[in-house]
Amino acid sequence: MAGKKAVVVEHLKRDQMLEVVSKGKRLDGRGLLDMRPISIEIGFIEKANGSAKVRLGNTEVIAGVKIQTGKPFDDTPDKGLLIVTAEVLPIASAYAEPGPPNEEAIELARVVDRGVRESGMIDLSKLCLVEGKTVLAVFVDISVLNVGGNLFDAASYAAISALVSAKMPKYSVTKDGEVKDTGKIVALSTKLIPVSITMAVIDDTIIVDPTLDEEAVMTARITLTSADKSILCAGQKGCAGGFSTEQITFAADTSLKKGEAVRQIIKKSVERGKKKR
Amino acid sequence: MSNLVNSKGLRQDGRKLNELRPIKMEVGVLENADGSAYIEFGKNKIMAAVYGPKDVHPKHMSVPDRAILRCRYHMTPFSTDTRKNPAPSRREIEISKVIREALEPTLILTDYPRTAIAVYIEVLQSDGGSRCAGVSAASLALADAGINMTDLAAGCAAGKIAGKVALDLDDTEDKEGDADMPLAILPNLGKVTLLQLDGKFTRKEFEQAFNLAKDGCMKVYELQRKALTEKYFGKGEVEA
Amino acid sequence: MSEIKRKYVIPGELVTEGKYNRTTNVFRVDDKFYSTRVGMAEVSSDSVRVIPLSGPYIPRVDDLVVGKIVDYSAFAWEVNINSFFSAYLLAQSVFGRDYSPARDSLTNKFAIGDVILAKVSAFDRTRDPLLSVSGPGLGRINRGEVVKISSTKVPRVIGKKGSMIKTVESGTNCRLTVGQNGLIVISGPAEGILLAIDALNLIDKEAHTADLTQKVQNLLSRLSEGEKNE
Repeated sequence: MAGKKAVVVEHLKRDQMLEVVSKGKRLDGRGLLDMRPISIEIGFIEKANGSAKVRLGNTEVIAGVKIQTGKPFDDTPDKGLLIVTAEVLPIASAYAEPGPPNEEAIELARVVDRGVRESGMIDLSKLCLVEGKTVLAVFVDISVLNVGGNLFDAASYAAISALVSAKMPKYSVTKDGEVKDTGKIVALSTKLIPVSITMAVIDDTIIVDPTLDEEAVMTARITLTSADKSILCAGQKGCAGGFSTEQITFAADTSLKKGEAVRQIIKKSVERGKKKR
Repeated sequence: MSNLVNSKGLRQDGRKLNELRPIKMEVGVLENADGSAYIEFGKNKIMAAVYGPKDVHPKHMSVPDRAILRCRYHMTPFSTDTRKNPAPSRREIEISKVIREALEPTLILTDYPRTAIAVYIEVLQSDGGSRCAGVSAASLALADAGINMTDLAAGCAAGKIAGKVALDLDDTEDKEGDADMPLAILPNLGKVTLLQLDGKFTRKEFEQAFNLAKDGCMKVYELQRKALTEKYFGKGEVEA
Repeated sequence: MSEIKRKYVIPGELVTEGKYNRTTNVFRVDDKFYSTRVGMAEVSSDSVRVIPLSGPYIPRVDDLVVGKIVDYSAFAWEVNINSFFSAYLLAQSVFGRDYSPARDSLTNKFAIGDVILAKVSAFDRTRDPLLSVSGPGLGRINRGEVVKISSTKVPRVIGKKGSMIKTVESGTNCRLTVGQNGLIVISGPAEGILLAIDALNLIDKEAHTADLTQKVQNLLSRLSEGEKNE
């Protein structure tokens, strides 16, 4: 209850925002299609196979990758597992309650999952050790440390960066089908870098990377993930409002264009992370 | 025989028996929280946040003449060697309780009637002694939130490895050692507000370990003071 | 005679020993006074107090506060004033003593989401604070952006005789309405507001430093330099 009341949008802020957006600007001084500064710290959690701490504006997210052996699903006996979870930790916001993930956190995890899975960045069939018996399970766990708008992109960049930089034990299979850790460490094989770009509609205008204030005012939201320069591989429209056809095609173009810039940032951060180690 | 202590009396990570792991603390690390702190204690990486005083929900839980204190100690799934299920375990629920009871004596809760103060401790990476590090971080977060307190709480453990009493056990020492005794003290009030014991001590070893842990807590307290000073007083510029 | 001794303290730290009549943010054990907060301790001949550098806003009668209407009932508006208690603005205090819920509609005056400037008219920790909007300048604020800083830094934002407010206002071409509760409404041109927010964040972060005014002036000179470049 208090939570609901406290998220009442100030009329002042809304009016000010609409006025500024109508002039092609944002309250924080950005252009309509500018992202906030992104910083990515690779390898923050030494005990994880891969990890990344991402700051997008004042949103802060950490993702950890754990790779363990497990049993495959019955319907995909020859494929490894990819499991993505997300939790908005109660340290992250006055409105985040401790407890099992709510609707929003589950949507967050599933949208990140879709970007990873559908882009084909990880070939799950390569994670099969013994068909029907033993495969590798890749867990990507996302913890939101500070809520500051656009969790989708921050969570996605953290998950992708953690996966791209992940290292794991090399396993071998004996003649009798026994799985053994060889003691060697290899990189998790990833093919490409999917990048999500989240956009919001404010006063019929599309903006990229909404802040918390903008999310309180936006009428609709869309996340489009690109697998590379020309392929879109995952999408999620959210909020009670809608988009026009023109806005949807504009969003698709914007995701591809903006995605390429973020892809370079992720690549550079991973490279820097490698050197550090 | 255990190889936790070598012939020179050094531990696996090169520490002496009475030596702490490297410690780093920072106050005011989270934007949304009313108070926050980050601590690295060896390989432990822990964030603590305080929200409140705030309205109590459900309302009938509120107490007319003081604030209620809530505390959650939680480990992220990637914080442990083997992935941890995100749902709170019985261990985490118990630790949440003893941490709450370690912190409560430092707070003047009667100054905030009918409200709740929530303390959240998130273990991002764990390496033995996370509850003690968690108490120390949480206490800093409470001071950062500006809640009236009579003292800070500082935590540190001592235990027994290879038959010898040792300060501040890491994960391996905790698992392979003989005993572990986490402690939290209020340095100015001279009170022990958290004590658990897991393993066998003789009466003499118990006292040795207790005194060693207490010394460790005092060292932690000095680092807590330093962290608060850095955040609030900068280089100590005093306006004339 | 009445020399004031100052030092930085943290909770639980000994401030001074002796006999003092007036005390703030300290607790006493026998003749010893210990701080309950992080802040600057001041000891004079008869008083010992700690000026805190962090902490929630605790209402005091006659405080000027900026608040947001978050709900209303038949008899009052509920106002978020950045404290741990919700404040109430009674319909009677706005419509007059003959207020009738059947005749007068609260939403015509203030709607949910409106930002108001109000005065704390009653508060004693056992009851929720009451607000009043009768007085010059009080009532709904129609333009500007609300910024939140720690309420303990409000005196620094105001400065000696309002000097800091004046510095920020003249450097940004904006108007500042400062609530004692740490909420500040900035109105003016968009780029001025951005700069004023930066200035307020700087004061919030570095309130304890001695050359604060100089730092704020350096930051504000950004706008005039920006204008020159254009």
